[in-house]
Amino acid sequence: MVDGALEIAERLKERLKDELTEVKSPKARRVFARVQPLVFRRAIQMAIEDLGFSHLSTITGIDLGGEIEVLYHLAKDDSVELTMGTKIPKEKGSLMTISDIMPNAAFYEREVHEMLGVKFEGLEDESHLLLPDGWPAAVYPLRKDRTFSELHEVRLSKGGD
Amino acid sequence: MGYASTIKVPFGPQHPALKEPEHFLFEVEGDTVVGVKPRIGYVHRGMEKAFELGTYTHDLYLAERICGICTAAHTTCYTQAVEELMGIEAPPRAKYIRTIIAELERIQSHSLWIGIVAHEAGFDTFFMYVWRDREAVMNLFEELTGGRVLHAMNAIGGVRRDITPEGASKIRKVLDYFEGRTKEYLRVIRTEQTFLKRTQGVGILKPNEAVKLGAVGPTLRASGRKDDVRIDDPYVAYGEIPFNAISSDGCDALSRTLVRAEEMIESIRIIRHALDKMPVGAIRVRAPKVAPPAETVSRVEAPRGELIHYARSNGTAKPERYKVRSPTLANIPSLCKTLTGIHVADIPIILAGIDPCFSCMDRLLVPVKGGGGTRHIAKLRVG
Repeated sequence: MVDGALEIAERLKERLKDELTEVKSPKARRVFARVQPLVFRRAIQMAIEDLGFSHLSTITGIDLGGEIEVLYHLAKDDSVELTMGTKIPKEKGSLMTISDIMPNAAFYEREVHEMLGVKFEGLEDESHLLLPDGWPAAVYPLRKDRTFSELHEVRLSKGGD
Repeated sequence: MGYASTIKVPFGPQHPALKEPEHFLFEVEGDTVVGVKPRIGYVHRGMEKAFELGTYTHDLYLAERICGICTAAHTTCYTQAVEELMGIEAPPRAKYIRTIIAELERIQSHSLWIGIVAHEAGFDTFFMYVWRDREAVMNLFEELTGGRVLHAMNAIGGVRRDITPEGASKIRKVLDYFEGRTKEYLRVIRTEQTFLKRTQGVGILKPNEAVKLGAVGPTLRASGRKDDVRIDDPYVAYGEIPFNAISSDGCDALSRTLVRAEEMIESIRIIRHALDKMPVGAIRVRAPKVAPPAETVSRVEAPRGELIHYARSNGTAKPERYKVRSPTLANIPSLCKTLTGIHVADIPIILAGIDPCFSCMDRLLVPVKGGGGTRHIAKLRVG
């Protein structure tokens, strides 16, 4: 089974060449890859359409300080789990949505949008998914500069319950 | 029949057919649902942020409390993620114990669900019988772990308690009882006309749609697929235990019921095999307090389907980021598709069909009005 993951890593190198900044397979059935933001959508599309990753498990967003890293976790029938990630600037950074290719991405992208303030271009519905309706627009809870007590205050004063 | 206009019917967050608070806005034309818009987050408590505040040890207790029904699924997923970050591995016996607890949990969770679906179908006698029988597993949990609901069996590096020979014989006794009962449930599900009329051909989800919309677990397997993380991406002791992925191609509410009932029989087989082949030896290895910088993706087949945790460490005793995606969230897009085109009267049974666990989905702590996350985090850190 390790071979399945290694093969995927090889094919990613072949197809993405210099756009692929990092690829590794630390254990069986796991591949971690990083690409340039400009080719991110194309890379995901290639994984779905050409490499057979038919299931989007979820999307993770991480605040790195100056940048936000967005990771798409994709699964294949033989259960290789590919984590494809890219880094975008924290302020005014954006990515193209993949909800037109993978409809269930819309939910996960909305979550990353409201929790970390990543803009997904072409995402039809950007309303709150998990946060209350009255939650202020620029308060992104999963950014590192937001403390738990500050978020608690926001929730009590504006967030409703 | 044409209608000049549609009306919007709000469903939840407080509604007799929902056991937990979530909102669905239905667009209805006559008696037919033509559109549905979900609004989740009513029990959101900011757990992913809380994970970053706690140490790996604290976070184990947090993971335990993501869900009250599939608590062992979350801690199994959490401990294997953290163990990988720390570079340790649970001993073989601990892996078998984790498997046994996880399968007992699946039996408990599926029987809870069969009771609910019987209730939604207007078959309350069945609901009462199943929930009475479920008590046998709940009491067994109390004897084995000390807790009926939160078992706290998983620890970083292994499990907290061993299963003694006496414990094993108690498990076998409960399994024997449950096997007979589950066969009886299957007979009722397959032959009882009242139940068949409410479920057969109701809430169709075609296989290609289920895959495209990212459905997981029994919801996906009731649409003819055989995807099961336990087989596809084996973890704990599943790689060493022979069993089948249960699937049914009816694509309706009846198939979802059959898949879960048959999975209970399969779980019984898994537990018996695990008890027979349980390796001897240690149940826990010592775990370091800190984890070197690394990242990992951990997957588990929870009772409701694929559960995925993503963890990143930064060289300290606290995770840099901890992400949880529970199966219920993955099943919402396909649920919305299933709900479109059905009769209003079938909404409860179809909603129940995915075995929704909204607390899990929203990542809840414990809903205490006005208390919010802080109080609970504070409590957790002190205690």
